This record gives sequence, C-alpha cells and structure tokens, in this order.
Amino acid sequence: MASLRTTSRLFAASRPMFRPAFARTYATVEPTPSENPKMKTFKVYRWNPDQPSEKPQMASYDLDLNKTGPMMLDALIRIKNELDPTLTFRRSCREGICGSCAMNIDGVNTLACLCRIPTDTKSESRIYPLPHTYVVKDLVPDLTHFYKQYKSIKPYLQRDTPTEDGLEFRQSPEDRKKLDGLYECILCACCSTSCPSYWWNSEEYLGPAILLQSFRWLADSRDEKTLERKAALDNSMSVYRCHTILNCTRTCPKGLNPGRAIAEVKKMLAV
Amino acid sequence: MASFARSSLLRQTLAAPRSPFCKNVGVSQTVAFHASAKKQILPPLPQSVQGTMNDPAPVPETHPTHGSYHWSFERLVSVGLIPLTIAPFAAGSLNPVMDAVLCSLIVAHSHIGFQAAIVDYFPPQRVPKFRSLCNWLLRAFTLTTAVGLYEFETNDVGITEALRRMWTA
Amino acid sequence: MRSTMMRSPIAVGLGQNIQKRQVTSSPNTEDPNQILVQQRLRRPVAPHLSIYKPQITWIGSSLHRITGCALSGSLYLWATAYLASPAFGWHLESATMVASFGALPVAAKVLLKSTLALPFTYHSINGIRHLVWDTGRALTNPAIIKTGWAVVGLSVASAVGLALI
Repeated sequence: MASLRTTSRLFAASRPMFRPAFARTYATVEPTPSENPKMKTFKVYRWNPDQPSEKPQMASYDLDLNKTGPMMLDALIRIKNELDPTLTFRRSCREGICGSCAMNIDGVNTLACLCRIPTDTKSESRIYPLPHTYVVKDLVPDLTHFYKQYKSIKPYLQRDTPTEDGLEFRQSPEDRKKLDGLYECILCACCSTSCPSYWWNSEEYLGPAILLQSFRWLADSRDEKTLERKAALDNSMSVYRCHTILNCTRTCPKGLNPGRAIAEVKKMLAV
Repeated sequence: MASFARSSLLRQTLAAPRSPFCKNVGVSQTVAFHASAKKQILPPLPQSVQGTMNDPAPVPETHPTHGSYHWSFERLVSVGLIPLTIAPFAAGSLNPVMDAVLCSLIVAHSHIGFQAAIVDYFPPQRVPKFRSLCNWLLRAFTLTTAVGLYEFETNDVGITEALRRMWTA
Repeated sequence: MRSTMMRSPIAVGLGQNIQKRQVTSSPNTEDPNQILVQQRLRRPVAPHLSIYKPQITWIGSSLHRITGCALSGSLYLWATAYLASPAFGWHLESATMVASFGALPVAAKVLLKSTLALPFTYHSINGIRHLVWDTGRALTNPAIIKTGWAVVGLSVASAVGLALI
C-alpha cells in the first residue's frame, strides 16, 4: 500500500492540478490493513510494444484475496486499478459471453471472468496470453488470422430456394436440436490456441473453434451448400491436421465439445 | 489499429515511458522470461497477415486424395492391423501370406505416420527445402524397408516367427 | 496536451485558457497502414508448450506419436540394415540375432523386451482408443480422461506381462 502513495506523490509533483482518471479509485481503496490478509502472488506475462527489443517478462503482483473479487478477472482489474495501470488485457462482459478475456491461467486456457482464483495462497498463479499467438501487448493476443479463418468458412446461411409460403426457413425441433452445443460458441479462441496442431500449423489448419463453426453450418438443415462446404474442407490441412489430441474439449470454458464436432466433420467427409 | 493509438496515449499520460512495468510501483519483482529461450526449435516467422483484416483466409484447394480418402485409408489400415497383430499372439506365428499382409500394412501405416509428422512440423512456407528433403528421405527409407522386409520374408523365417523366437530365446 | 493540463482551473474558468490542438496533418509521409505491419513484425509469440499444463490429453497424444515414430523408426532402420547387410558383412539373420539375444543375461533380456514392449502396447491400445473416437464415441471430457489413464495402466501391465514371457 505504500506503493500507492508513491504514485500519487509522483503525479502530485509533476501536475498539481491534474489527477488522472484512474487516480479516483485510490480514494475508495484506502490502505486499511486487514486483520488476516490472504496475500496471493500473481505472475503476469508482460511485453510492451513500445520497447520491442525488450524480452517478455513475468511481473509479480501481490493481492489480498480478502479484498479481491472471486474471479481472476477481478484480480486483474484490481492490479490494473491499484498496482500497475500499464497492465493491458481485454475484458468486457465479465460473465463469459463476450470471450474477450480469454487467456492462459495456471497453464489452462480459459476466460478470466469464469475462472475462480485458487484460494491456495501458497502457490502463485501464472497468467499468460493465449498460447502461440502473436502478442499485441501484455495479455492481448492478435486474433486477426483467427477471424479471417472464421470468415473463410462462410459462417452464414447459404440457401437459394425460397420457402413455399415465402416466410422464414423453418426447422423441425429435431433438426434444431442438432445445433445445440454448437451455436453457443463465443469464438473466444481458447480451444484453438490450446491445440498443439494449431500451434504448429495455424496458417492453414482451421483449428477447433472454426471447425466447430464449420460443423454448425454443415449440420444446419436449412443450409443448401453442404456439398460446397464439405469440398472446401477436403484437403490435407483444413481438417486433417486434427489428431484428436482433445485439448480443445478439455479446455472449452463454455463446456462445448469441439473435439466431437471435428470427429463428426470427419465422419461426414468420409461417407 | 486502435491498440497502438491507445498505447501512445498511455505513454503521454504516464510521463514515465522508460520500461513502465519494471520500475513501477506495486511490482515486487520482474523476472526475465525464460520460456522463450534462445534455443527454440524452428521458431515461427514474424507475424504477417495476408490481405486486409476483412478478407477471408485463403481456402486450400480440394484434394480428397490428401483429405478424406487419405483419412479413410489410414483408418482402414489401422483397423486391419488389429487382428493381424493379435493373431500371432493367439496362434504362435502367421503363415507367409498373412505375414506378408501384416508387413505391407505396417509399412503403409509407418509411412503415413511419418508423413503426418513431416506435414505437422515442417510447414512448406517455413522450410520448403528441408520438407521436400524429408519427404524424399522417407520415400527412400520406405522403399528400402519394404524391400528389406520382402528379403527377410523370402530368405529368412518371417517377421512374426523371428520375433517369437527372439522373445523366447 | 500537457500545457493545457497545467493551466489552473481559474484560468480555464475565466476563459483565459486557449486550447491549442495539434494540427492533424503531419509532415510525416509514412504510409499509416505500414505502422501496424511494422509492429506485427516485432511481436513475440506467446509461450505454449513450456507453460501449458500437462494433461493426459496432449501428453498422451504426444506419447502416441513418439512411440509410433520410435517403433517404426527402429523397424525402418533394422529392415534397411538387413537389406544392406550383405554389402557390409553384417549378420542380421534371425538365427544370429536370436543366438546373440539368447546369450544375454536375464535382466538385460527383460529390460530390452520391456523397452520394446511398452511403446508397442501403448501405441496399439491408444490406437484402438483413437479408432473408437473416430466413430464419434467416448468423446466426452470424463471419458477422455478415464480412457487415457486406462490406456496408460493397460499398456504398462501388458508390457510387463510381455517382458516376463
């Protein structure tokens, strides 16, 4: 907490009348030392694009868990608000629906907002960006290629024939049921970046998330371009770099099953 | 685009641009990151993005012989290997015909397996020459292995019988 | 930017503060699209193999490939050597190999047998697991973990059994 005072003094010295926006939070978190602080160490991957020649480093932050929310995202936000405003990460919804805060926490890809802080204060928590991604800054990965790959599978309904009554394309409850477990994917890229095959061949291999989306459109009874979709996948790279490692299914923070979706895609292509 | 604009803004407000997180408050220590060590095997190339952000990634050409046919063939070979591997355990050793089938399936299975490893680890855009060298080496070795096994089957006792004898020696 | 911030609030209130904004056009003729391209070239790759938590999924899969390559690699080397043996005068016929293997002490035999048997049993049993997955079955998280450890147990047990024959 002494550290906080150092920052405010720094700003006070340089700009007497100006307090940066984040300084407001200092007022709310007064350094009242709690009775039994549960201090936990967080090691966070840091890399600053403004000093590109410097190597990535692990910065270490100590937080009192009694004053921190239960989730990893709470810890990160607290670090940014109170300890180090330069820490950079993506977050938005804080409830596991936007997929922004996907990162590697304690060795497993997950959403920071859905990941509880392990209450064991003896062991430190290590936070990295999504594995084998190009790092924009700190915990922010560049997912441009991932999104371009998503676009390449034409993730929309393709249909030429209109319905007889000119109304919407209807679907039986059974056909609709086939999309369960597929449409919930939020494209957070946790599964794709947990896949060793995707690490080595992300240029051409589509990866679990995009293949699950492929299957979502292959399985849709209303779509009429199934043959074209299958043909586009039928090469050595797009699907068949999947060696059923199943890190994807293991890591999905939404509890979906990309591994099974890929198995279904392979079955559809084989028949 | 927004990310770098924001980072420069941040630098202006902070007034301490030199290595902000190293000397910053609250950071008890920074440790040099060792995982990205010097001795990396085939590190990925610097990032480059083809086309604009709104272009889809290029779709590879349709190639069922490298895709679905290849996959089905691989599974058929693997499934075929199961009874042929169990049979020698159950019946001592195989007759020459079954032995020959087993050998050819093993060679096919090995060749496909090595090929998959080469495709996985040596991408053509990264190491084109080394990849084709590996592919030619693999083809040559598969050929010598097939001929060697043929010689062994015709001039010697055959692979399952030899293994059985050695195992009980 | 900084100079405007240093003004006192009174000056601002009295309208004595003239806000100066930077001219948006700059003499810099650099293509702005190249800034991002240049930045991308300097980006590090986030750590992967070294930091990912060891789990039965990917450790088991990498063992599958390693054992497969080791088995096929030794077969390839042996068969090629057998083909070349007449030219170099090596003796790789079954009779000499069996005789030389039989001459080894029992401990060495068991050790050699198990180093050959364990990769074989692991690759075979895990291969069956893969073939079951390819039919779309047993692809749930609990099943993946359970069958993964079952393969490890079964392959060790059967390798010990094979080595002791």
